[in-house]
Amino acid sequence: MGLLGRIIGGTPDPDAAKHLAEQQARDAAWQTALDSGRLPDFVIKRLADTREHKLPWVSTTSIGSLMAMRTHGIRPAGMVSGNCWFNFGFSWTKGHAAGWHAAIERMVDEAVILGANAVVDVRMKVSRLAELGREQMDFAVYGTAVTVDSLPPSKKPLVATVSALEFVRLLEAGIVPVGLAIGAHYDWLYQPAYMRQSAINSLTAAPYMNREMATISQFVNRVRQAAYGLLASDGARLGTGVLARTQFSELLYFEPDENYPAGRCMYRHIAMGTAVQHEPGMHRPVKVKAVFSVQDKPMRRSLEITEEVI
Amino acid sequence: MSQNPALDGLPKHAIERLKGLRESGQSEGIFTSDLSVNEFLMVREAGFEPIGLCVGSCIYHMGIQYGQWSQNQELNVLSQAMYHARELAMTRMTEEAQAVAADGVVGVRLEVKRLEWDREILEFMAIGTAIAHSSGHPGFKGPQGRPFTSDLSGQDFWMLLKAGHRPLEMVMGSCVYHVAHQGFLKSLGNIGRNTEITQFTQAMYDARELAMERMQNEAHEAGAEGIVGVNLHEGSHNWQPHVIEFFAVGTAVKPIEDQSVLPEPASPQIVIPVND
Repeated sequence: MGLLGRIIGGTPDPDAAKHLAEQQARDAAWQTALDSGRLPDFVIKRLADTREHKLPWVSTTSIGSLMAMRTHGIRPAGMVSGNCWFNFGFSWTKGHAAGWHAAIERMVDEAVILGANAVVDVRMKVSRLAELGREQMDFAVYGTAVTVDSLPPSKKPLVATVSALEFVRLLEAGIVPVGLAIGAHYDWLYQPAYMRQSAINSLTAAPYMNREMATISQFVNRVRQAAYGLLASDGARLGTGVLARTQFSELLYFEPDENYPAGRCMYRHIAMGTAVQHEPGMHRPVKVKAVFSVQDKPMRRSLEITEEVI
Repeated sequence: MSQNPALDGLPKHAIERLKGLRESGQSEGIFTSDLSVNEFLMVREAGFEPIGLCVGSCIYHMGIQYGQWSQNQELNVLSQAMYHARELAMTRMTEEAQAVAADGVVGVRLEVKRLEWDREILEFMAIGTAIAHSSGHPGFKGPQGRPFTSDLSGQDFWMLLKAGHRPLEMVMGSCVYHVAHQGFLKSLGNIGRNTEITQFTQAMYDARELAMERMQNEAHEAGAEGIVGVNLHEGSHNWQPHVIEFFAVGTAVKPIEDQSVLPEPASPQIVIPVND
């Protein structure tokens, strides 16, 4: 009885009980592993076998990266990943920091088993289920664990959100990408409706006048500063600087209700990016050469030309 | 000495991190930024160090002003609001940079967000990375000894210095304009004719001209020789269909005065990529 037979509901699978038992054992192994903050035995075995070359290595990097790795004595050890499906019990904002950190920790645990020095090309991905809205989501990271020739395995491999090509370039300049830093903060401002009215209807202003809503500006600034403070302290845990390319902010207004008769505002800010280790003031010149490419973009087909010029 | 020749030139701290010997960075002196890794590399190549993220924000209630239905005209209440709110955000960002003793701010992004819940309120934000010259050379500050501001990326910043110029400040000009509606008889007269509608030409021209003029004056006051990387944005922020904003923004620059920090010029090598 093949898979098709099972799907279309033919004769019952004679091994059904066995398969179910296997799946249940796997579920239990995951449960125990996640509860105790380690990886299940079958994951450990697969990674250990990869390390001993009993299994082929897996790499997510581009071929160009592979080329650069060869000249720098860097070898792919294997693909590693981690994820964390997170329920936002009290804060969506704060949950982001917790979710990413948990996922990264799991990925690093895998890299340790591979005997890696770093994980490069780390990508981040979130998944949601429509019916859960913004209440729960999955934070996933994956990348390629690499070893550096002549270096012993690291107990704490670096996490680099850059490609291997950039990784070697940065190393040469004395910059080491070391991890992912996150700063996330939110806060409430009560009575925004009242403040709006008073901003507009005060003695010195009329509704048709320009006016800064200073209280809200200050509130927004305070929340963002707090997020940056958290970003800096998270970064200090890892390295000497943070390159926070990803920033998200949102100012929400909630209409008055019985608990908050004057309405309320919420502001949240999430900043995250690559943490780096460097020595300030000690720059190793990379000797950039300017080049000018004479390659043109292919001419567009006449049917594809859009509003820009026609 | 290691057996891997690629490691020979690397700094000790880098090798220690790869070995996992050094657990973390340092508790003090951490910088934050929104630079990319390549920008970080190029800012350092230019002889600067990032210090910290600088932000200024401003939540602004826009005044109300209606244009006369059939009249081309600048809506100066809105022009002033758009300019004033951006200026407040920029000033706050620059103050933050000044507080950390920066020489300037690079990669400045000036964002305007409309809020779902109120058409008359706009959120303005200026954000960039404060940087300082590695050996503390005083010749890179902006006007009146304040930090310079620039919307150039780290790569552009390096190239600007190579071009023999330094940034002074981000300059901008705003003009919110009401484009007149055409009268019924006039529209009727255009039926079946290929013709310019000078009234509309004039409106677009005038609005752009006013924005450019203001930006140029600002650069002049800052003592600039020129303005680079100018962008002209046309936008509508929750306004009626005939109301548009022309917003001109660029970086005012002047030649590097001190010859000792003038970088060697770089003439690009012409290349033709052989892949794809």
